[in-house]
Amino acid sequence: MSVITIYQKEAWYDLVSVWRTPGFVIPSLTFPLVFYLFFGVLFSPSGSNSHAAYMLVTYSCFGIMGPAMFNFAMNIASERAQGWLTLKRLSPMPFSAYLLAKMATSLVFALVIILLLFSAAAIFGEVRLYHSQWLSLALLMLLGTVPFALIGLLLGLTLSDKAAPGVVNLLYLPMAFLSGLWVPVTMLPHVMQQLAWLWPSYHLSQLGLKLLAMDQGHAALLHLALLLLTTAGLTLLCLFVFRRVIGAK
Amino acid sequence: MNSAINNKLTLLQLKGLSKSFAGKSVLDGVDLKVKAGEVLCILGPNGAGKTTLISAILGLIAADSGEIHLLGQLQQGASRSAALRRQLGVMLQIGSLPATLTVAEHCDLFASYYPAGYSATELVTLAGLEAHAKQRFGRLSGGQKQRLLFALALAGKPRLLFLDEPTLGMDVEARRNLWQQISQLQQQGISIVLTTHYLEEAEQLANRIMVLHQGKFIANGSPGELKALTQYKVIKCCSALTDAALLALPGVLQLSRQQDGITLHSSHAEQTVLALLSLDDTVSQLEVKQVALEQAFLQLTQSPGSEHADSAKQEHAA
Repeated sequence: MSVITIYQKEAWYDLVSVWRTPGFVIPSLTFPLVFYLFFGVLFSPSGSNSHAAYMLVTYSCFGIMGPAMFNFAMNIASERAQGWLTLKRLSPMPFSAYLLAKMATSLVFALVIILLLFSAAAIFGEVRLYHSQWLSLALLMLLGTVPFALIGLLLGLTLSDKAAPGVVNLLYLPMAFLSGLWVPVTMLPHVMQQLAWLWPSYHLSQLGLKLLAMDQGHAALLHLALLLLTTAGLTLLCLFVFRRVIGAK
Repeated sequence: MNSAINNKLTLLQLKGLSKSFAGKSVLDGVDLKVKAGEVLCILGPNGAGKTTLISAILGLIAADSGEIHLLGQLQQGASRSAALRRQLGVMLQIGSLPATLTVAEHCDLFASYYPAGYSATELVTLAGLEAHAKQRFGRLSGGQKQRLLFALALAGKPRLLFLDEPTLGMDVEARRNLWQQISQLQQQGISIVLTTHYLEEAEQLANRIMVLHQGKFIANGSPGELKALTQYKVIKCCSALTDAALLALPGVLQLSRQQDGITLHSSHAEQTVLALLSLDDTVSQLEVKQVALEQAFLQLTQSPGSEHADSAKQEHAA
């Protein structure tokens, strides 16, 4: 039994435990799909598949954000409150195994959501993309879960188990709207378009749209730099809070 | 028995451990020693500092001053090495493990943390939950949950085991079973630090009981020694004597009347009984009892001075 086994088991049982929680699985998987079918495919203003393609990117972004934020914030807050986290800290388990397990669960959910949305886009939205575009969009969205996982971690470390779900929703839904994930950002008022620059979800969706040449036309490097900067800032903040809440380990 | 233990290795030693929160002292220069094979029971009312003490030892919080030696190593701040944690077992009061995982899955996960520990199947057996191996944690009874947590604490075959209120929520039978398991662990040479509200538990299990009160140990001794600390015995009987006559008996400290008789607290029970019988030949239902540990404990933590406790401490040290 090696250290790798601990990482594997930790990841597997985190996934199993989340998978057995219908209250998490059903909304995580169905909301993005249903919203996309509704607003991306059925109510397409132009009836064109370019709208369906545009919304595929933004709803993929919306879809992957949810499980990353909720899995980290809600489960860490409740495992902290129930003392389970303390018991794990006192065991010889490396704490990174705990965090990586949560990350792995978020990635599995992100992958399932991406596959569901891509299938819906191809079948019902008649979206046609090059293989390389499908693949790079999927990879981008998987990598894009990282900043949202960090936001979830930050909330999970600081909020009580009762407050966590509400606060995540309070952040998740406005952030999605203000980043232009439900309604294209170009249709938002000018002020809100400028505020969109604050959110990592805006930059992630613009990078995705750039793969389909449908973005607002700012430099990809700028979006990437801001996304990385946000991620780095969140990492530092998490480390700081982590030391305060969990201790030096 | 004590001398045999004294020659053994010291697994845990605290020297002058202090901790205060927001200016309020919670631990005030605590000294403590646990030898190999010893079961130490820490008793104290709520707010005495038991949880803070255990948290400081385990590195969940950093003490302000003092030394913590765990398994012979001086510990710094609030971090404990993985190598050290592999040799410790901990059972805390926990709300819940992830409720959707089964008993077998929890055991499998915890077994993987300890390469030299028990296998998952062995842990299920240790918990006595073979029949519930496939049951989810959320569907276990309170006692079954405690048994699982107890087994998880043993996952690494620890040298030193910390049990925080281990029998909370258990029925009488489950409690007795756990006591039996703890006694077996002691026979295997495992040292145990146990906190509990059940004084019967301390009497049953501990080699040594330490009473923590307002961040200080006010008593330290075997269950028998602690009982001897209390200077009085309880005499119950039915007697025709008046209150004044009863209070005038030698050694009587206190008198109370119940429907079925009277209760006397006496510092010299034999003389009291002798005098009582010579004055009143109608005495019936006579009963002389050592004070239960519970009462001794209450007396220790309630009396303003604790000279008795201090003298016992010195006796023990000597």
